[in-house]
Amino acid sequence: MKKMMKTAALSAALAAGVALALPASAQEDSIYIPNLSYRTGPFAATGTPLMNGQRDYITLLNERDGGLNGVELTYDECETGYNTEKGVECYERTKENAVVTQPWSTGITLQVLPKSNVDEIPILAPGYGFSPMADGKVFQWAFNPPSSYWDGASMILKHISEGDLDNLNGKKIALLHLDHPYGKEPIPLLQALAEQHGFTLLPIPVGLTEMQNQSAQWLQIRRERPDFVLMWGWGAMNAGAVTEAAKTRYPMDQFIGIWWSGHDGDLKLIGEEGKGYRSISWSVPVPDSQLVQDIRQYVVEPGKSLIENESELDSVFYQRGLMISAMLVEAIRAAQEEFDTQAPDAEQVRWGLENLNMDEARLEELGATGMLVPFKTSCADHTGHGGAWMLEWDGEKFVKVSDLITPDREAIEPLEKQEAEAYAAANAPWPVNEECEM
Amino acid sequence: MLYRTAGQFKTSYAADHALFPVRQDAILLGVVLILAFVVFPLTASEFAFRALLIPVLIYALAALGLNILTGYAGQLSLGTGAFMGVGAYACYKLITLFPEMNIVVAIALSGFFSAGVGALFGLPSLRIKGFYLAIATLAAQFFLVWLFQKWDWLYNYSASGAIHVPNISMFGITVAGPRAAAITQYYFVLAIVCVVTFFAINITRGRIGRMWKAVRDMDIAAELVGINLMRAKLTAFFVSSYIVGVSGALFVFLWRGAAEANLFDIPLSFRVLFIAIIGGLGSILGNYLGAILIVALPVIISAVPAMLGLPLASATVEHLNVMIIGVLIITFLIVEPHGLARFWAVIREKLILWPFPH
Repeated sequence: MKKMMKTAALSAALAAGVALALPASAQEDSIYIPNLSYRTGPFAATGTPLMNGQRDYITLLNERDGGLNGVELTYDECETGYNTEKGVECYERTKENAVVTQPWSTGITLQVLPKSNVDEIPILAPGYGFSPMADGKVFQWAFNPPSSYWDGASMILKHISEGDLDNLNGKKIALLHLDHPYGKEPIPLLQALAEQHGFTLLPIPVGLTEMQNQSAQWLQIRRERPDFVLMWGWGAMNAGAVTEAAKTRYPMDQFIGIWWSGHDGDLKLIGEEGKGYRSISWSVPVPDSQLVQDIRQYVVEPGKSLIENESELDSVFYQRGLMISAMLVEAIRAAQEEFDTQAPDAEQVRWGLENLNMDEARLEELGATGMLVPFKTSCADHTGHGGAWMLEWDGEKFVKVSDLITPDREAIEPLEKQEAEAYAAANAPWPVNEECEM
Repeated sequence: MLYRTAGQFKTSYAADHALFPVRQDAILLGVVLILAFVVFPLTASEFAFRALLIPVLIYALAALGLNILTGYAGQLSLGTGAFMGVGAYACYKLITLFPEMNIVVAIALSGFFSAGVGALFGLPSLRIKGFYLAIATLAAQFFLVWLFQKWDWLYNYSASGAIHVPNISMFGITVAGPRAAAITQYYFVLAIVCVVTFFAINITRGRIGRMWKAVRDMDIAAELVGINLMRAKLTAFFVSSYIVGVSGALFVFLWRGAAEANLFDIPLSFRVLFIAIIGGLGSILGNYLGAILIVALPVIISAVPAMLGLPLASATVEHLNVMIIGVLIITFLIVEPHGLARFWAVIREKLILWPFPH
């Protein structure tokens, strides 16, 4: 008993000590890049390749170039399991020295977004988060390059209507989406476009608990016979949807996913039967690019990567992870050059993200020609709206089947502005960057 | 020796029925309160406030609410998460409809919404009990979460379906919303938790509490001695849901800052139920001990490898964390099936007798 008490007291003291003295100390000669990763839980299958890509790009810079302009980049993961509660905990844990927050879930983004003005750490949410974040005047600290969900929705419609949305008149489009802030993102825009162009929108939510069993949803699809099914799915939901679509023999060429629903692993489950499935994407795997060769040479071969087999290297998601880190590193580089400092702070990195110029020339210098849509951000435009390509599953892998598609910004902008203003009003006092010219 | 009761004589019934018949208990509580009110705020970092102290208090409050229903009145409930959601959404609607309303008033009122809904879903308890009642409350869980998703008036028609806490100030200090300081929020939560706990202790010790316990131990016998079962069960649902609703409002307004319907789904109900069971059903202290074990310990464990400089990947730490907490829960339940509160009671009894074995 006495011994037990002693252990109890000791562990309590230790626990209290740990708890009160947590965050690690800052280092002058490195840049701290935390990432709220998820390699566990129901979304791990899609999260892991992305995280591997992000991690390997940073490792490559440290190994090949000795960091970024001589400063080491410290990449650190904090595991969230896609759980918003854990996400906020991780945000608090890493924020002290962080130059950026990568929340990696629309739910976590929505949680940390209001804090961004107070803590003054930029949020980088490439291709996810809240679409109105594109409005840089209102969302000074949030960035979602190179395309937002509303851009994505607009581009998919543009592609399936062959350029003119009026061709969709009288058609029925189902939106199979995760019943979560992420899945609900495109609904306001799609509804507005449906009214404008005379097509019927049929949102079909998939609850978090029924991701793997979508028979009810696909029964509804079979009954309603929509002309197209768009999918905003993630994690286990993608695999569930494509297998169910194959089972119910839904024509794959009428089934189109957002960029997070184009994961090689999910489609490999059905292989040939998935032929014709399309996914819009702002990144394309280019297996023989200089960058991927360097990754192979400096990261994978010395055993410094966490990838399980070499084939992962050529997957859409792994290479997208590379591109996400590339965007971030380019922003840090821009901040270094502008402020003439080795280790820029969060505020300076914010400037870098706002003045990011990923044009074709820059991508070529990085050895990443054709891997990412070219885009450019500004203080008013935090997305860049670089557009995307359409990828199609050929039975073995995703291949690019379209030229660059650009979103119909004229239809999106008013809605974006309206939602951004509504957000700022609901969260008053919310500082707006008035200096910025549109 | 520390707990020597020799020399503490009771000369009246009132003294014998005091909250702390043993003086050392009062001293111990004083120490805990000083820790909570003075020492922690002085030493804790923002991370400690936001990831440890505030959530432990809020989860403990939710478990306290559930414990009144399950531990004191013996009615099993699986709908705690949804009742927390009712409190949270009610508070959100009150704050957005009446922006000048004081947040304390809004939180106190939102408890009544939850209490009303709780009492309504408690009606089946008059006819069914045990696991069957658990299924009925499970229906409440599914129905309410569905309602939070589908009834867009609840979240003011926001596109994402999530609610956001605006900046709310009280007497010139921002207490909720993104601009609120962690220490202010901590004191706010602590004050409410202390007040509610004080009332909960007294209710459970008094006439109503005894009525609940009689119903829990044997409802037929309780009815025979003249207890109105309907009143006993419905008051239990009402009081329990009130506290749960308040904790739900605090959960979103003083801690999370934003919430979507899925947050209040069944995993939250189970989490609160685990806290209540591991802490000890039918005890107030147990809720706090349970919350420390379930909520705070994983956060602390995940920080240990980094502290010791072990190069473990974050995902590995997470896996280890789940295993360690699982093992701890099983160990505690084997060592003391009646929960941590009972564990503490055994220690205390031994201390009173110490150094004698019997």
